[in-house]
Amino acid sequence: MAAKLRAPGFYRAGWMMVGGALFATALTWLVRMATGHSTFQHFISPDAILSVSLLAVPLAFLIGIGGFDYWFYWAIGRPTRPEDHSSHGAYTWKDYFRINTDHKVIGIQYLVNSFFFLLVGGLLALLMRAQLAQPGSHFVDANTFNGLFSVHASLLIFLFMVPVFAGFGNYVIPLMIGAPDMAFPRLNALSFWLLPVAGMIMLGSFFAPGGAFADGWTAYAPLSVNAPIGQTFFSIGVQFAGASSIMTALNFLVTIITMRAPGMSFFRMPLLVWANFATSLLVVIATPFIAASQFFVLLDRALGFNFFNAAKGGDVLMYQHVFWFYSHPAVYIMILPGFGIISEVIAVKSRKPIFGYRMMAFSLLAIVGLGFTVWAHHMFTSGMAAWIRIPMAITTAIIAVPTGIKVFSWLATLWRGVLHLDTAMLFALGFITTFTLGGISGIMLAMVPFDIHVSATYFIVAHIHYVLFGGSLMTIFAGVYYWFPKMTGRMYDERLGKWHFWTTFIFVNLTFAPMHVLGLQGMPRRVATYAAQFADLNLFISIASFGLGATTLLFVYNMVTSWRGGPRAVSNPWRALTLEWQVSSPPPIFNFDRLPTVVGGPYEYGVPGAVHGIFAPAPAPTVAGAGAGVVSAPSQ
Amino acid sequence: MEAASISHGAAHAGEHHGPPAANRSSRVEPALLGMLLFIISEIMVFGAFFTAYFFIRIASGDPWPAHGTTLPVQVAGVNTAILVSSSFTIHWAQTSIKNGNRFGLKAGMLTTFLLGCTFLFIQINEYANIGFAPQDAAQQTIFYSLTGLHGAHVFIGLLLLLFVTIRSFRGHYTPEEHRGVEVPGIYWHFVDIMWLVVYTTVYIL
Amino acid sequence: MSRQRSLGIAFALAVIAVAIGVVLSYSIHWFPVQASVQAKNTDRLYHVLVLASIPIFVIVVTVILYSIWQFHMKPGEELKDGPPIHGNTRLEVFWTAIPTVLLLGLVSYSFVVLHENEKKPAREIQIGVTGQQFAWTYQYPPSVTGGAPLNSSQLYVPKGESVNFGMHSKDVIHAFWIPAFRLQEDVVPGITTHYRATAVRLGNYPVVCNLLCGLGHSLMRSTVHVVTEAQFQAWIKSQVTAGSSTAAAGSTSSGATG
Ligand code: HEA
Ligand code: HEA
Ligand code: CUA
Ligand SMILES: [Cu+2]
Repeated sequence: MAAKLRAPGFYRAGWMMVGGALFATALTWLVRMATGHSTFQHFISPDAILSVSLLAVPLAFLIGIGGFDYWFYWAIGRPTRPEDHSSHGAYTWKDYFRINTDHKVIGIQYLVNSFFFLLVGGLLALLMRAQLAQPGSHFVDANTFNGLFSVHASLLIFLFMVPVFAGFGNYVIPLMIGAPDMAFPRLNALSFWLLPVAGMIMLGSFFAPGGAFADGWTAYAPLSVNAPIGQTFFSIGVQFAGASSIMTALNFLVTIITMRAPGMSFFRMPLLVWANFATSLLVVIATPFIAASQFFVLLDRALGFNFFNAAKGGDVLMYQHVFWFYSHPAVYIMILPGFGIISEVIAVKSRKPIFGYRMMAFSLLAIVGLGFTVWAHHMFTSGMAAWIRIPMAITTAIIAVPTGIKVFSWLATLWRGVLHLDTAMLFALGFITTFTLGGISGIMLAMVPFDIHVSATYFIVAHIHYVLFGGSLMTIFAGVYYWFPKMTGRMYDERLGKWHFWTTFIFVNLTFAPMHVLGLQGMPRRVATYAAQFADLNLFISIASFGLGATTLLFVYNMVTSWRGGPRAVSNPWRALTLEWQVSSPPPIFNFDRLPTVVGGPYEYGVPGAVHGIFAPAPAPTVAGAGAGVVSAPSQ
Repeated sequence: MEAASISHGAAHAGEHHGPPAANRSSRVEPALLGMLLFIISEIMVFGAFFTAYFFIRIASGDPWPAHGTTLPVQVAGVNTAILVSSSFTIHWAQTSIKNGNRFGLKAGMLTTFLLGCTFLFIQINEYANIGFAPQDAAQQTIFYSLTGLHGAHVFIGLLLLLFVTIRSFRGHYTPEEHRGVEVPGIYWHFVDIMWLVVYTTVYIL
Repeated sequence: MSRQRSLGIAFALAVIAVAIGVVLSYSIHWFPVQASVQAKNTDRLYHVLVLASIPIFVIVVTVILYSIWQFHMKPGEELKDGPPIHGNTRLEVFWTAIPTVLLLGLVSYSFVVLHENEKKPAREIQIGVTGQQFAWTYQYPPSVTGGAPLNSSQLYVPKGESVNFGMHSKDVIHAFWIPAFRLQEDVVPGITTHYRATAVRLGNYPVVCNLLCGLGHSLMRSTVHVVTEAQFQAWIKSQVTAGSSTAAAGSTSSGATG
């Protein structure tokens, strides 16, 4: 037992979390006693203890499960222990609940964790739709309702959309570029474990005194400054999720830059790798801004600072500038990797080279660059200086150009191909359709006078879901079906998959299209009840949304049963050229038994005799080198 | 799979069981590149705080420092000199180990660490005697936040320096293998330069 | 069927789809009534946007459907690949340039509308708006009342007159939105924001708080009464003579008289 309590794992995490809570109590007590300051009237304050615990307990958990062991040994100069470095591969389901440094295990951890939060976040949406089925309904009260949509959006953005792509990236990128693992495997493991922590914090807010955080996922100050303690759960949860995405992005960038196989020049990289490269740039540069925005709120809330106290010279609009400087790029963080997935799927399933490969890569970078120059399009009605609207509207409109290049290039890739219309491909084609609609409504929103009418209405809600569900989530489904055989070594049920596609496609449109009309007619977003004139459409939407929820169960069923008992998958069922398909399904423990050498582009379908990667003839002798670290010695 | 794990295990009998070495497709060291990218992220954190500073000080047009408050420009100036000199001492430590001078490494690291501690100590003292609190008004808030954010970075930098110092006293690092001194060193230089920016904008301008 | 023939069919269907789209977009009742000058301009902008969007969407969908119809894998083609086309510079320039021009055109037109909607008229009256959790109050300055300033929970505006609303918040951010005017602007603590509208249609229209401001957000509603100039003056007079008692009763807070 004592050994169990000392070894990294859930037991150690358990007692350390208790310690963390005690530490928080003691610390706040001491600080309040030491500072006889007017804002600290009492020595013991539940809010203060809770706030500090929200940082201390999760950290204790991470230390407990072993996220930092290696670094602790390193820091005090002791020999680092080999075990925490060798935990490659997963042999039972239990291995997925440990710190594991294998990028494939981490990829699966990411994906499963994300889909768990999709289901929870979706379930919250269904509760919301139950309330909105009728005007003035009392399924939940206003406070709970506000909590529902706030947690719904926060979970789906910070714990589903952003990390699910990191999951794909983790699994696929090292394989695609011919690397044995990520550049920093331990950092990678830690960055995964931050996520369940962030998710539990956000979900836990439902149990906070005063209810869950209820100011939307945007948490505008000063409302969030004076909100009940639940708001702190958001501010701190975002820090954990944000730290996780920054770590992963650093890892992707370093991996892509320094660990490509011989011959894998930048312009021979598959577009998914390009997409993650571009996304990681966005993450590294933008994410600190949301961290800072939530620090400001925390400081105002907990210590009585005055960032947003207008009476004392604080600037309320500053919050929105800092917040959107992250959160606009964040929407591209949530779609660019999807663009990468679609490029893979469309090229392979059309049996043609991707049309305009270089423009596909450059347009990603163009979106990254432009993405930083448009944040104030969320603030057209905010009361900021009027002139800012002009440049922001222009850059916002221009973003449609690189996006259009991608859409048209996909269409041109289809042209005269041999289309394999299986589930992944159907989702890719469905994606192009619904995303174009969502993008077009985005372009309308860029037109200032129009946005002045519909900002913060259901028109925006429609836009959000067309681009996020009709866009990002469709790409995710496409990606899951596409790589399912590689990741699990099993085939999924194609018939069920097609059913899943068609029902999803239909219900997405039934649910979210009528929202455009509601918004134009004057229904505000974020309301627990609404005028009677909107009743019919809302009822329709609610019914459709339950259908949408049901289709998701179809997907879950297919995945679970196929993973457990689907037919065995061959190594390359789609006859794809990229490297991940050239190894067994699932791939060997260190990805490649023999070092791949890249000799051509990734999508040379139809080119006689084209190859992308070749494998060294003999088992690679290079691994015998004196490599102490993961990537220390150059292999040749 | 078999081949990889067997040959691998044989090669590193007593060592890590890491994956095989990857092809190196760039001349930059992964650890170095990682640190540089991380510093970009850190610059953006400061960027966000400077955005707040910009809105509170410049966009509002109020006088700075706020009416009735003074900033200890001289004390902070001395403190600046202390921090800047620590950049030189860590550089000394690095060149020493490159030339195989272990004493220089140890002395340099220790001096750097102590200089950093002095900086932090003076900073805390400044807070205690400055005569206003962040709760007073937005200008005081942003003063404390910018200097405090920097102070937090000094603290993290000091932790890293502490680790390096411990390890150098334990006999780690060689003229060939001193990446572990260099990478934290870059972070420390960043913390220094950031202070120059903070000092100039907050105290002088 | 020859390639030419099927292309022709696809093209014809696309044209029909565009036509149906256009007809639909004009027959659906998208908006509430147009009660302001600005509403007319904004609705026109919306229709232009829809007209520009329909062909783009139809092109995308037509290409997808046509590809499915013509290029899906037929039995025996399991191992067949498509032609190795890597790109076509002219085509790529084309689909970069055309959207750029179109978008710049649309955004320019939107600026024209914006300017039109916000330009300062020769004559306008001032009305103050105060947002507070969870009610609106309105301040009529002496220049409007002709006497003492008036604070009221009711909003009356004269038809045909340009009104400049100067807006304050006492607590958190709210947004002042009159869907029938197609105008909204946030009401922000610490600053005064503005909102200019010329009502052109008599009647009562909802005023909606359109920014999450707390528990009562969904109920923070008010009404704007668009009345004739004469009715407006009469209403002002009745309010002023009714004295501060009415005004105080109307506003939920203590003396915030503008
Ligand atoms: C994946 C997420 C995602 C994506 C990709 C986008 C993409 C875009 N978004 Fe969206 N947006 C959100 C998620 C996203 N958005 C969210 C979550 C919010 C609400 C936040 C909140 O308040 O809670 C929001 C809000 C939002 C607003 C603020 C509205 C308001 O609050 O008042 C605006 C305004 O300009 C906007 C615009 C755009 C534009 C111009 C694009 C463009 O990038 C779209 C470009 C794509 C296309 C145009 C389609 C393909 C192109 C072609 C086929 C070429 C030809 C096309 C033309 C010539 C038009 N979005
Ligand atoms: C990121 C992606 C994303 C996704 C996928 C969704 C999915 C859905 N969303 Fe959400 N939504 C947002 C992002 C997203 N949303 C954002 C950013 C906002 C803005 C919030 C704000 O204003 O701050 C928002 C706001 C929002 C609103 C407006 C709230 C308001 O303003 O008052 C509504 C209203 O209908 C809504 C509905 C839905 C529905 C019906 C779904 C459906 O797709 C859900 C389908 C259901 C499932 C996928 C779950 C299926 C699960 C089960 C059937 C049970 C099994 C569960 C377990 C075992 C745990 N969403
Ligand atoms: Cu006031 Cu919402
Ligand atoms: Cu945006």
